Amino acid sequence: MGRRDTLIFGSGALGHEVAMQLAERGIQVYLYSNDLDEVGGLLAKGLQAAIVNYMDDDKLREIGIGNWVKTVFCLFSDEPKNLFLTLSIRALDPNLKIVCVCESTSSGERLMAAGATKVIDPYEISGQRVHELIARPYLVEMLENTVFGKHIDIAEIEIPEHSTLSGTPLSDLQLDRRFNLITIGVVDLELGNQLIFSNSGVAHCMDAGDILVVIGPSQEITRLKRAVSEDSLEPISNITDP
Amino acid sequence: MSFSHQVIKQCYAIQGSARYTGLKGAVFNLLENPRAPIRPYFDIFMILLVLTTVWMLIYEVKNDLGQLGDLFEMVAVGIFIIEYLLRFWIFNDSHKVILDRYERAEFINQPFQVWPALWQALLEKLKYVVQPLAIIDLLAIIPSYRPLRFLRIFLLFRLFKLFRYTRSISEFVKVLSEKRIELVTLFIFMAFITFTAATAIFFFEADQHDSQISGFFDSVYWALVTMSTVGYGDITPHTTEGRVVTLVLILAGLGVISFFTSIIVSAFGEKIHEIRAHRIYSEVERKRIDTLICGFGRVGQVVADRLASDKRQFVVVDPLEENVRIAKQRGYPAVLGDGVDTDLLLSLGIDTRVTRLLCLTGDDVVNVYITLTAKQYNPEIEIISRANHRENVNKLHRAGASHCVAPYEVLGLIAAEYAGQPVAFEAVYGLLTGQSHEGIEAVRIKRESVLDGCRMGDIDFKQRKLTPFGVIREGDCESNEEGTRYSLQGRCLYFNPSEEFTLLADDLLVLFGHEYSVVHFRDCLERGTL
Repeated sequence: MGRRDTLIFGSGALGHEVAMQLAERGIQVYLYSNDLDEVGGLLAKGLQAAIVNYMDDDKLREIGIGNWVKTVFCLFSDEPKNLFLTLSIRALDPNLKIVCVCESTSSGERLMAAGATKVIDPYEISGQRVHELIARPYLVEMLENTVFGKHIDIAEIEIPEHSTLSGTPLSDLQLDRRFNLITIGVVDLELGNQLIFSNSGVAHCMDAGDILVVIGPSQEITRLKRAVSEDSLEPISNITDP
Repeated sequence: MSFSHQVIKQCYAIQGSARYTGLKGAVFNLLENPRAPIRPYFDIFMILLVLTTVWMLIYEVKNDLGQLGDLFEMVAVGIFIIEYLLRFWIFNDSHKVILDRYERAEFINQPFQVWPALWQALLEKLKYVVQPLAIIDLLAIIPSYRPLRFLRIFLLFRLFKLFRYTRSISEFVKVLSEKRIELVTLFIFMAFITFTAATAIFFFEADQHDSQISGFFDSVYWALVTMSTVGYGDITPHTTEGRVVTLVLILAGLGVISFFTSIIVSAFGEKIHEIRAHRIYSEVERKRIDTLICGFGRVGQVVADRLASDKRQFVVVDPLEENVRIAKQRGYPAVLGDGVDTDLLLSLGIDTRVTRLLCLTGDDVVNVYITLTAKQYNPEIEIISRANHRENVNKLHRAGASHCVAPYEVLGLIAAEYAGQPVAFEAVYGLLTGQSHEGIEAVRIKRESVLDGCRMGDIDFKQRKLTPFGVIREGDCESNEEGTRYSLQGRCLYFNPSEEFTLLADDLLVLFGHEYSVVHFRDCLERGTL
């Protein structure tokens, strides 16, 4: 099998679902499991799946962990398996992103302690969804049809080195007028992973390495990405007062 | 003939009279209808009245109550009599009995005979009098009549009247009556032992010269006192034979007592869930709870906690005792039962009161079944269902679910988002799902409000630290290529509206910003000081 930097362990309904969603976004994955029947089922559905003994560190190294793999999803349905796998992978590669699924708050904490980067509790999230449907039906319907329905996307755009945008305040970009995009905020990695919201009133000046978070139709996002990489995006203030 | 015509005419007049029906309905609500709001007050009043008269009966034994006491007694008896007559009145509709016979006679072209019809109506009415509770009512009244003073002890029957007004006592009686067979068996066994022991003791002891047993009644009394393990000791056996009888009787008595206890305990053990469920039904009824959660697993618990923190009322149904216990610990009304049980759903008011049903069980078959059942009884109901497998979402929608939430799909979506944009994931996700202080909120533009007819460019969102996300407007529209307009099934989203966009009444303005900013914005809008 060729090299792919995203792997999914666990090939039940969850693994299948995540692989499908990732494929829709153009991310190709390999699925691994130690259950022969499940792997067979996935292969039949046209997904790339294989059997691996996840308890053997050498086997994990063979499939690229500690080498080229960047993200791993641990989606086994039993918590001990996820925990064991997280510990093994973390020992092999301290920088790899490990996303785990958990079934309760306490198991989430254990997985975080074992070294998971992100723990997702599907039941908690579904419960919140149901509550949102009751509390804010219009908004949920809107988000479901647009953002989650893939008409509108969220994108993170990194400001490249030597960009002319360096030093411009976030508010001068005016992406809502020029691109039909709404700027949610910016992440300045030098200040940590916190998202600085565009409407927080903080006058943030961008510099290279900052990550812009925008929301809007995908074609507009592509247009913005191109403009940023070609460095053809001029801040509005430069145009109005030369 | 003219008399029978008169009767029929009267009957039809009563049938057609709105005042008569209204009055009868009001009396029914007061006395019988367990769902009428006035009923609890009436019950409490009657309980107090009964207790006061009984207390007076006790007090009167050694003291004199005087004229005031007599007057009170008269008033109380007057109320009892009125109640009895009203119950007699609302028991059935005599005019319907007569009209039924009349119409039947007309139908088969037979001459209508008025006397048999009246007789039947009377017989139907008299069925009320022989009901157990009606007899108790009558016995509570009769002893007040002076010539029948010797029946005063029957005044205690007033206490039995309390059955009518308290649900727990009637539940107790119902539980015991379901154990009829066991209780009858026990009673026969007990009677047999009592009789045998009484005969034996009489046989051995009655002719002794220092005997305490003077008649057969004494020996029956002794047998019961001994068997029940009470053992007063006023009558004791003196002969060896008598003592042997006593030993056997004591052993048999232990058996009888434990048998009796176990019947009662098991009866309540079997019924306790039902009794609790009835409590919940009446609580649900009283508080007008309109949200029903079927399934209290992880998802149900999260939803319930959030609804509770919003101060919304709901009731939980779950087939697992463990889950019901968790719900009760958190103070939520919960019923042990399966959502598939239609009677249970009906008792909770699925056909009338419930406007929102959440099917959150881990089994899609159950979710589909509950959805279909609920929709059948109440086509207006809003149903949010959990779909555990992707392929069942369509089935749930077809069964009538308004919304489906699929845990795996949600997880897939999140995982995919995470793989795509990991840096600001937490913040963006929190923003979209309303879990952070910063979030997306909708503000409705009211008619005649400051914003009605306002251009977007004229509102200073920036100064208020808000970003307009879009406007949702009623009415269909086509999604367009440029991504400025999206169709939302009967509504239209204008994404990122331009400065020229004009707001109209009933639009939903979707903003993103800190919750305080949104609250402040709403507040300003309400006061018209934008």
